[in-house]
Amino acid sequence: MSAQDFISAAPLAQSGGLSRTRFFLSNEFGLILLIAVFAVVFAMTTRGFLSPFNLFSLGRNSAVNIMIGLSMMTVIVTGGLNLAVGAMGVSAAMTCGWMIEALGLPWPLAVWGGLALGAGLGFINGWTVVRTGLHSFIITLATMSIFFGVMIFLTRAEAYRGLPDIFSAFGKMKFATYFSPLLVVTLVSALALAWLYRFTVTGREMLAAGASPAAAELSGIRVGRVVILCHMLSGVLAGMAALMLVTRNGAAIPSMAGQLGQDWLLPAFLGPVLGGTLLQGGKVSVLGTVLGAFLVTMLSSGLLMLQIGAFWVQTFLGLMLLIAVLLDKARRSYLARRNLA
Amino acid sequence: MIQISRLSRTDWFGPLLATVIGITIVQSFSATFLSAYNVQILLLAIAVNALVAFSQMIIIAIGQMNLSVGAIGGLAAISFAGALEVWGLPAPIALVFALFVGALCGMANGILIRITGISAFVITLATLSIYKGINLGITEAQPFYGIPDSVKNFGSALLIGPIPWLVVPTLLITLLLWFMLRRLPIGRFILAVGSNDHAAALSGISVGVTVVAAHAISGFLAAMAGVLVVARLQIGQPSIGDDWLILSFAAPVIGGAILAGGHVSTTATLLGVVIVAIITQALVLFSIDPFLVQVVLGAMILAAVGLNKLRARQPLKGSI
Repeated sequence: MSAQDFISAAPLAQSGGLSRTRFFLSNEFGLILLIAVFAVVFAMTTRGFLSPFNLFSLGRNSAVNIMIGLSMMTVIVTGGLNLAVGAMGVSAAMTCGWMIEALGLPWPLAVWGGLALGAGLGFINGWTVVRTGLHSFIITLATMSIFFGVMIFLTRAEAYRGLPDIFSAFGKMKFATYFSPLLVVTLVSALALAWLYRFTVTGREMLAAGASPAAAELSGIRVGRVVILCHMLSGVLAGMAALMLVTRNGAAIPSMAGQLGQDWLLPAFLGPVLGGTLLQGGKVSVLGTVLGAFLVTMLSSGLLMLQIGAFWVQTFLGLMLLIAVLLDKARRSYLARRNLA
Repeated sequence: MIQISRLSRTDWFGPLLATVIGITIVQSFSATFLSAYNVQILLLAIAVNALVAFSQMIIIAIGQMNLSVGAIGGLAAISFAGALEVWGLPAPIALVFALFVGALCGMANGILIRITGISAFVITLATLSIYKGINLGITEAQPFYGIPDSVKNFGSALLIGPIPWLVVPTLLITLLLWFMLRRLPIGRFILAVGSNDHAAALSGISVGVTVVAAHAISGFLAAMAGVLVVARLQIGQPSIGDDWLILSFAAPVIGGAILAGGHVSTTATLLGVVIVAIITQALVLFSIDPFLVQVVLGAMILAAVGLNKLRARQPLKGSI
């Protein structure tokens, strides 16, 4: 089998001939339905859910959560995991803050610097995974500790607060009183990723390497290099998510992703898993990830407005992840019985 | 020579060597390292961390992972403290209640993983969030302060010399676990399922029961660790267990556990905990930045998995 055959055989078969029933059974349709239902429920039961301010903050929060989900998704594509998403993101944001405050660099350069660091940390992850042949779970568990530890050690756990006004101005900017430009950044990145996975050779190689590394290797794909590339992409996206948080906070804060960046883990997995990205790798749905992360953000915002109690939101998110994987399993077995998938 | 090469193949020899070398080096630089007070601090840390590590080790033995160790520990800790303060239960009954909560949480993990067939990673990530959310929902992030004196005394009492009472439950559990994994059917079943669940099922082992039992044991151990932390801190903090994740993987991996399952060592895991404790303590004694502890822990995991991989390659050439 040549490389071309393999690449066109695997994922196109699923996305190519979309029959109508199959679309209605797809994850994306289910998510859109859920988003619509919950939007109506929240709009009717709470006051101010559709207010411009709430829509604005919803857009801003979902921009960050979607980006975190995309960052995890790029590694899940290869059948791996990246527990270090939070640690990498915060490190990138802190680097950006350090370049502005300590080095006095102009902010565009510092932003590129932060993203480059994200890519560099991703390279370290990917290279270690490829060279040792160990599962990325244990490697990124270790590097999560290392990256976060080095970052905290170098910054002395202090925040960079003297950032130029353009950061917080961008975070506060509104289009038509309720639309955050951060969402535009996220959606553009998502579109770029969708294009990458659908139309470029690199993207198809990533999917092939995730679906079956051995087969990909035999078809002439340099799997090691592709895996490293996926990890670097994940680092850049994590850096972008953290920089968005910086524009929201107006400062680069070391604890913005929690201890070791663990607070990002749940949103990072919720988006892709709800969106139907296979944890075994090889299948990806950018639209699903975007919708999944948006649904999660909307639910937590709505639950807060229902005044269920801020402390219970985490339980609901966990339950949601559980229900999502169960439903996905049920859907898959239904499709398998009907010979649709 | 044959003796040494045979020793080097056991799991506990490397960690033991590292422990002895570590103690010698640190002691030669800082005379206070083996002082009574310092040994007491070391043992207190080891008593709790060993249980955390065992809790993860049992799950590694069946070839899975348990991200919710810390969340179960935290939930059990506040169940214990809450039962004492709010319900006014006597300490032994509160202890049983907390351990029951822990085992139940673990069992729920196991049942979900078994029934759905979804990877343990996703299930325990979800339950991590659920248990932590219940913890925060009940406590609203406020600690329980009303711990009775009997529990406080247990947490600070010394057995003989610098040895605190807290190490007694840990020591008993270590012996029990060692005996279980060596001699008891359930221990052998766990290892068999971990090395090849299909073969285990074919030889008449009920894989489902074994997986659920392993998770229940893991939850029980995490709960025990949580209760010990309450006794040591003398308050029921909701944040107990938040920082257990890295540590719970570090010690078993340093102790030669194979993440694919089927191969763990209780003694070596305990030594792994000791090594981590010594290094953490040394960083403090040499007044090196405490922030670097995270870096060292991460580096140790990397080094240990690398070494394990090399060790595994020697006897079974080409199979890995």
